[in-house]
Amino acid sequence: MRFSKLVLRNLFRNKLRTLLTLVLMGAIFFFVTTLLSILANFEAASNAGEGQNRLGVQSAISLANPLPLSHEAKIQKIPGVVDTAKLQWMGAYYKEQKNFFANFAVDHDKMETVWDDYSTPKDQLEAFKADRTGAIVGPELMKRYGWKIGDKITLIGTIFPFNPEVTIRGIYKHKFDSSSFFIHFDYFYEATKEITRGTVGTFWARVRDPKDMAKISQQIDDMFKNSEYPTETFTEKEFQQQFMAMIGNIKLLFTVVSLCSIFMVVLLAALTMSMAARERVTEVAVLKAIGFTRGMILTLMLIEFITLGLLGGALGTFGAKFFYKLVNMTEVTQGFLVAFGVDNETVLTCLAAAAIVGFLAGGLPALRSARLSVVDGLRKVW
Amino acid sequence: MNSLVEIRDVHKVYKRDSFDVPVLNGISVTVPKGDFLALMGPSGSGKTTLLNLIAGIDKPTRGQVIVDSKEISALNETRLATWRATHVGFIFQMYNLIPVLNAFDNVELPLLLTHLKKSERREHVQSALNIVGLGDRIHHFPRQLSGGQEQRVAIARAIVTDPTILVADEPTGDLDAKSAHEILDLLQQLNADYQKTIIMVTHDPKAADRARHVLHLDKGVLVESQREEARA
Repeated sequence: MRFSKLVLRNLFRNKLRTLLTLVLMGAIFFFVTTLLSILANFEAASNAGEGQNRLGVQSAISLANPLPLSHEAKIQKIPGVVDTAKLQWMGAYYKEQKNFFANFAVDHDKMETVWDDYSTPKDQLEAFKADRTGAIVGPELMKRYGWKIGDKITLIGTIFPFNPEVTIRGIYKHKFDSSSFFIHFDYFYEATKEITRGTVGTFWARVRDPKDMAKISQQIDDMFKNSEYPTETFTEKEFQQQFMAMIGNIKLLFTVVSLCSIFMVVLLAALTMSMAARERVTEVAVLKAIGFTRGMILTLMLIEFITLGLLGGALGTFGAKFFYKLVNMTEVTQGFLVAFGVDNETVLTCLAAAAIVGFLAGGLPALRSARLSVVDGLRKVW
Repeated sequence: MNSLVEIRDVHKVYKRDSFDVPVLNGISVTVPKGDFLALMGPSGSGKTTLLNLIAGIDKPTRGQVIVDSKEISALNETRLATWRATHVGFIFQMYNLIPVLNAFDNVELPLLLTHLKKSERREHVQSALNIVGLGDRIHHFPRQLSGGQEQRVAIARAIVTDPTILVADEPTGDLDAKSAHEILDLLQQLNADYQKTIIMVTHDPKAADRARHVLHLDKGVLVESQREEARA
């Protein structure tokens, strides 16, 4: 471009001011990128069950209300259901309450049929199955507490008066979930049957054909509609989204904070850009005198201001991307953010926002410069 | 000589708040091609306004401004800008170079508006800087040049497109006597050797003496016209 030198030289004519503006914009876009990435992480978590031919069955009253174990056999008989499994949330912690993570009692023999997205090396899975007090654990938890296979762990129950004493038999791998803890349902039930009395939190049903998910879901709920324990059946994605809905306000809060931050950066950038335009009134008048049209002045200044916005945005966004590559956020947030990073969509969103910031902040100063009368601009020098 | 600039009964009235301030009152002037005209007069006499009208950066309230057979007072802003790019070279009192560009880039600026290729632009810039005697300073930034040298770069910028007319407002007003002398020599050289038509506003009688033709304005009207021969 013929005018690139003019644009770039103007952009860096006051190096300190440009540097400070870039650092400020970079800091704000780092923050915005982080918030948007957390939202994207939540979104990914709520979509984690997408594509799984698995239905979750819980009480129609609430997730906290248990279902009778007898429901399982009836669900299993529905045509199209391949297998079912019981899953109980235990709500236990390790040593201290701050060491909290997702821990479940699960049908140990259904890992390959119902929970096949959790892959565990065959020998480790066999060891888990063979040991009634065995456990399989996510890699992030293993790293966080320095555990290794064979370690004996005691969890402290909160919901149930039961402190599972288990031996880690395997480490699973999963696309999104890297910090859960699974023990045998039999072991859990044996210890808590006086309280649970033939009930369990949820059932999970593997369905043969994904097209039948809605139909089977309806069949399950219809089957128990008039029973003492009516059910509500979800696809796994809906089940995850139910959890995410609980933090829906956080999403709104993050969105509002992001927008406020961007608005703030627009104001700050507008101030800088107004100063930059103001100190160039005479130069703009000279450019117009020698033949630059109003449109050219407007375009050149907008390109300059949008470039400044993009540079600030890129500094913050790519800075965040690089930072979160170096820092293990799963460890920092104790498993709250799993597989956290800045995805390309967030990068593009932030860069687009940065360009818009440049356009909005620089639009008015650029327009005022473009509309400046040559005579008025030159009045100082003629 | 053919007439290059024709000013026909031009009036200019500025609005200041709710007041009308008449600056030019029915001026008619003809400037022949190849002339070196000096406009003189006290402050507020309207000489700069007249220069602005000839340069196409302002429009008369009434009357016609015709340059090279084109009525520029009838052109809209965009057409005027395009016209200025090819027909007018500006020389300012304070030089008004772009501080972030070096001498070469400053002189190249008007050529960016043409269809010339980079190599052609380079050739034009080099030759303009050679004419003003700064062919060896192309990489110097304005802050690295003296006032006289800055004005020479500004003159190179003004002539690089080979414009029809050069307009200068107090081109020596910010210079020491020696530099002013050199700049006036250069303007005379451009007029004599390159047949450039120059219209210059000045307060300085010594500067006006270099012109072929002097017009005196007062309170928006022409009060006196002197030709070189008459002054000699």
